Amino acid sequence: MTTTIILVLISMLALACLLWLAKGRTVSANILQNPTEHMRAVDVEAFRNLVDPDEEEFLRTNLSPPEFRRIQRERLRAAVEYVSCAAQNAAILLRVADAGRRSSDPATAEAAEKLVDNAIRLRLYASLAIPRLYLGMILPGTHISPIRVAESYEQMTRLVVLLGCLQYPTRGISAAL
Amino acid sequence: MTASYLLSYYLWVGPHLLLAPILIAMFFRRLQRQFPMFFLYAAFEMLQCGVLFGISLSPIRAAYTEVYSVGLGFSAAIRFAVIYELYRHFLRRYPALDGPGRYLFCGSIVVLLLIATVVGISAPATSTNPLFNATYAMDRAVSVLQCGLLISLFAFSRYFALAWRSHAFGIALGLGIFASVELATSAVWLHLGAFGNRAVNLFTMATYHLCVLIWMFYLLRPEPATSYVLNPLPKHDLEVWNNELQRLVQR
Repeated sequence: MTTTIILVLISMLALACLLWLAKGRTVSANILQNPTEHMRAVDVEAFRNLVDPDEEEFLRTNLSPPEFRRIQRERLRAAVEYVSCAAQNAAILLRVADAGRRSSDPATAEAAEKLVDNAIRLRLYASLAIPRLYLGMILPGTHISPIRVAESYEQMTRLVVLLGCLQYPTRGISAAL
Repeated sequence: MTASYLLSYYLWVGPHLLLAPILIAMFFRRLQRQFPMFFLYAAFEMLQCGVLFGISLSPIRAAYTEVYSVGLGFSAAIRFAVIYELYRHFLRRYPALDGPGRYLFCGSIVVLLLIATVVGISAPATSTNPLFNATYAMDRAVSVLQCGLLISLFAFSRYFALAWRSHAFGIALGLGIFASVELATSAVWLHLGAFGNRAVNLFTMATYHLCVLIWMFYLLRPEPATSYVLNPLPKHDLEVWNNELQRLVQR
């Protein structure tokens, strides 16, 4: 009897989970109607500075160990926020570019294809970088190099510019980038 | 014949008849090329229903359970192929996800197989008929695997904000709902120790009917065109765009 109840509860949970995940599709469609409103500003240089090993070394030599740990945690918390913002922007741009892939103009379709690839890579890098940043918060001093996220984000930004110019010569996607 | 019997006959035959327009629409829209396994699944379900209905009215109705069990096995195998087809559908559209997608599919299968094994061990057989017991065990394991794989697929697409094609979404949603309800009903069957509980059967058939309606909704309507509106940027932003483009050209 207990096994039956557990299995029924698991199946109900699975159904709820499935419907919740499926509902996300319509939410994304709403975001697509006005992508600029949902995008957040990301300063790549500031992020680079937060995860720069030289900066970290400088702080380590000039601060007392407890203070270094505190400052480093705050820096990494801010870095996580930056990566999350970049990943969220990438998700929105992915949906926009996905629609652009079906453009009749080959140049637009190609630019959109590249943007889709870059946005996916950024989401992948972000999913790898965020746990490492959290690990760095738990163990300050752990070597972290999520620079690839910044590089990927910059590359993606350039593609957004190109795609926007190809689709709408006098309009654009976002100033947030 | 009571209303309950009429309802059960309708829920048994009705959804399978509704699969016919789905098959026809898929054929004329050439969707069978995109989703050949789902096409096969729908055709097999229709055939299986016809055979079982015929057996239930014939003198060899004692063979019903055997035929049902064999059919369930084939149906489950084709459903796995449909799920793999949905994964492939995504990976083809997003080549950058090819590696992570394969890892996810294989990883999910390994984890879910372990869970299905635990579920199988923790739920011992209650029937004296070994065929019943094997069918229960297979049904539970298959439900766990299929439900888990579809949840993984939905979670994967949600994380990467991947756009579902309407047809693929409908197929996945219908299969997911059916798999999760099958898990519950197979658990109840396990407790009752026999097929044929009317309430459980009606609930399963009603769920299947709902899934067929979902498939009908998504497969009979044309793929909606994606339209989005980009707001014009303020004028000063054009300078930023130009600067960025200049940087791109100079690199």
